[in-house]
Amino acid sequence: MFQPQATPFSFNAYGVGVGLSAPGAEYPAAFQPSSSVTDNGGPTLFRDPIFTTHYNQNPNPNPNNHRHNHNNHPRQRYTMADNGMNDMDAQEALAREFQPPLEGPLVGEKKSSAAITAEYARADPIYVAKTANLPQTYSHYRPILGDGNCGWRAAGFSYFETLLRTGDKAVLETEVARMTSLNNLLTVSGGFESWIFEDMVEVTTDLLRDLASLVQTSPQAASALLEERFNTPEISNTIVYHLRLLASSWLAGHRTTYQGYIEDVAGVDGYRKNVLEPVDNEIDHVGMVLLIDVLLKPIGFAVEIVYLDRSEGTSVNTHILQSEDANGVPTNPGGPMIYLLYRPSHYDILYKDSPPIPVQPLPQVIHTPSLQVQRVAFSQQQHSVQSTPMDFNLDLHGLLTMPGFGGGLPLQQSHHGFSTHYTSPIDRTYAASPISSMSPISPGASSATTPSSTTMASYSAQPMMNSSLSKPMVASHPAYTQNTTIPVHSHLPPHPSHPPALQTHSIPPSELPSPSSAGGSFRPSKYEWEAGWAHEGPVQFLTSTFKNSHYNTAHYNNPNFQPEEWSPDADDPLPTRKRSG
Amino acid sequence: MNYDMEDTQNSAPGSLPSAQASKLAAPRKGPDAQSTTKRLQTELMQLMTSSAPGISAFPSADGNLLSWTATIEGPDETPYADLTFKLSFAFPPNYPYAPPTVLFKTPIYHPNVDFSGRICLDILKDKWTAAYNIQTVLLSLQSLLGEPNNASPLNGEAAELWDKDPEEFKRKVLGRHQDVDDE
Repeated sequence: MFQPQATPFSFNAYGVGVGLSAPGAEYPAAFQPSSSVTDNGGPTLFRDPIFTTHYNQNPNPNPNNHRHNHNNHPRQRYTMADNGMNDMDAQEALAREFQPPLEGPLVGEKKSSAAITAEYARADPIYVAKTANLPQTYSHYRPILGDGNCGWRAAGFSYFETLLRTGDKAVLETEVARMTSLNNLLTVSGGFESWIFEDMVEVTTDLLRDLASLVQTSPQAASALLEERFNTPEISNTIVYHLRLLASSWLAGHRTTYQGYIEDVAGVDGYRKNVLEPVDNEIDHVGMVLLIDVLLKPIGFAVEIVYLDRSEGTSVNTHILQSEDANGVPTNPGGPMIYLLYRPSHYDILYKDSPPIPVQPLPQVIHTPSLQVQRVAFSQQQHSVQSTPMDFNLDLHGLLTMPGFGGGLPLQQSHHGFSTHYTSPIDRTYAASPISSMSPISPGASSATTPSSTTMASYSAQPMMNSSLSKPMVASHPAYTQNTTIPVHSHLPPHPSHPPALQTHSIPPSELPSPSSAGGSFRPSKYEWEAGWAHEGPVQFLTSTFKNSHYNTAHYNNPNFQPEEWSPDADDPLPTRKRSG
Repeated sequence: MNYDMEDTQNSAPGSLPSAQASKLAAPRKGPDAQSTTKRLQTELMQLMTSSAPGISAFPSADGNLLSWTATIEGPDETPYADLTFKLSFAFPPNYPYAPPTVLFKTPIYHPNVDFSGRICLDILKDKWTAAYNIQTVLLSLQSLLGEPNNASPLNGEAAELWDKDPEEFKRKVLGRHQDVDDE
C-alpha cells in the first residue's frame, strides 16, 4: 500500500527522540524567536511548525540570535535524552530539525502596501523600483505567515473574503452546498474516505454558514469573524487542509489536463502525495492553478498573481487566472478579482481599494465615428477589466510588456511596422500554441523580452488612425480579404505611401473568422458585443480605468493574449519544490 | 469516557491523570484537542471494525487518547517472520496535521531503526499527510520490515548485512528480539 521510503539519515534522530514529550518544550533558549525575525527587509522565507504558539510561549527569546535560517547551527546547550548519540550527532540533528518560529498572525491585518515599499527600501534597485510602484496599483496588502501554507491560506482567505464582498447571503449559502457537494470529488476522484475529510468540510461549511448569517446584517462582524477563524490555527489549518484535498482530488480527476506540468518523477499520484498533501508543504504553481480551478473559477472569481521578483523592469509582472471558454474568452468578465502577491516561495494578499491614479488620456482615440472597430475592441476591454483598474504600467512599458506579443515568437516578424500579428491569419497561427499552452503555469515572470518596435508601433498607430485614416469601415474589408486569400501577406514588404497596416488595424476583430481552427483562442465575438456597446456614447471610454490600463488597445485583438510574455523558467516551467511560503 | 472540552485550561480528556495533563497543557489548548480526540476515536473504531491482518493498535490503558500502543507481526518470508513487535504512538495535539511520533518498543535489528527504537520513515516526517492514519502507518512499517531502505540507514551494520549476509542478519534479528511487557 505505502512503499516505505526512508528519509536520509540526517533527518531523523532528533525528531523522534525529542518529539516524545511536548513539542517545543525542550528547545533551548537560543531557539526561541528573536524579535528581529520579521523585519529583515526581505521576503519571509521561513517554514515553521503548524502551531507556532508552541514556541512562542517561552518568555526568554535570545536577542542575540539575529536571523534564523536552516543553517543556523546552535552552539548552545541542548537537552537530549541519553540515546547513545554523541554530542555532534545530537547537535547536528537539532540543527537539522530546527524550524525557526515565525512571529505574527497566520493572516495579518490589512494595511497599506506602502509597508512593502518600506520593507524593500534597502533592497536592491529592482526591488526598490518595483515596490515603489506597487502601492499605486495595489493600495493595500495583507501579510500571510510563511509557515508552508501561505499560498493555500492566502487563496483560501481570499475566497471567503471575496464571498463576503459580494454582500449576498445567498451566494454564501450556495457555497455551503457546493462545498458539501465537492465531497463527491474527494471520495470518487481523490479516493479519500469520508471520515478523513468530513471534519474538515464541516469546519469550512461552518464558517460559510456563520458568514452567511452575518454578511447582510453586520458585514464588519463577518469580516472580523473571518479573520478570527483564520487566525485560530486549528480552524485555519483544517480549512487549509481541506483545500489541499480538494486540489489533490481535482488533479486526480483531471489527470490529462495537468500531467504535462507535473515534474514529480512519481507522476500525478506521486505529486499528490509528495507535494500537495504533505502538511505544511508550500504550494507550487501547479498547486495554485489546481486550487484556483477547483475553488475559484467555478464561481467566477478570477485571480491576478502579482510577481515581485528580481526580473528586469520597474513594475511587477502579473498573470490572471480566470475561467475562460473554449476560445479563451473570460466567462465572467468583470467578476470578482483576487490579487495575490507572489514573492519567491511566498504569497500575500493584495487589494485595490483606492481609485487608480489618473494619467494622461490617450489622445482622442475614441471619438472618430469611423473607428467603430476600435470601439468594439475597447468596449470589450472596458467590460472585462472594469473591476480591475490597472494603472501600474503608466508608460509605454505597459504596452511593451503586454503579453501575447510573445517575445521569441515569430510574431516579431511582423513587417509593416504595425501590429500585423493580430490581423494576419498567418500570425495568428504562429501565435497559437506556445504561450497559451503555457498558461496553466506562471513561474516568476519577467518583462525582459519586450518585443520592442512592433508593439510600440501599434501603440502609436492609434492616434494616427484618428487623424489620417478617414476611410469608412468598408475600406478595410478588401484588405482583410486579401489577407486571408493571400496568406503570405505578412511577408509582403510594407507600402510606404499607403500603409496597409492602418487598414488592417482597423478591421473589426470581430469580423475575423474564429481562429479556433488554427489552434488559437480568439476573444471577441461581435455578435455579443457590438450591439450593446457600440451604441453607447464615447464617454465610457474615457474613464481613467481604461486610459490607464495596460490592457489598452490591441491585446484583445490578439488571439493569444497572456498577461505575461516571458518566463524565466520557460524551459523548466515548474520551479523546484520549496519549503517556505 | 468524558471528553467534555469546556475547560480550556485542560483540554485533555477528563479522566486524564495529572501527569499527562501537564504534558498536554504545554502546547495549544482548545478545539484542536477536541478534533484530534474525535479523529482518534474514529480511527479507533476503524481499527476495531476492520483491522488489517497482522496489525493492531489501541489507546494506552491510562485513558489518554493521545498515547497508543500498537503491534505489528513480522511479514512472512522475511527475517522478522513469526516475531511480534510493539510500538508506541504519541499523537501531537494538532494531529492529524502533524505526524504521530512512533517508536519501536520491542528491540529490533533493522537498517532503518536505531537502537532506541526510532524509525526513519518519510511518511512520519516531511511526507506526512493528514490523509494517513494509524493503520496506514502500521502497514507502512510492516512493509518496511521486509523492504528496508538501505540507502539511508540508521543502522549501518544492518544495512550492510541485509545484502551481504542474510544468515547473519537473521541471527542478529533473533538475537536482538525480546518480548517486552506491557507498560
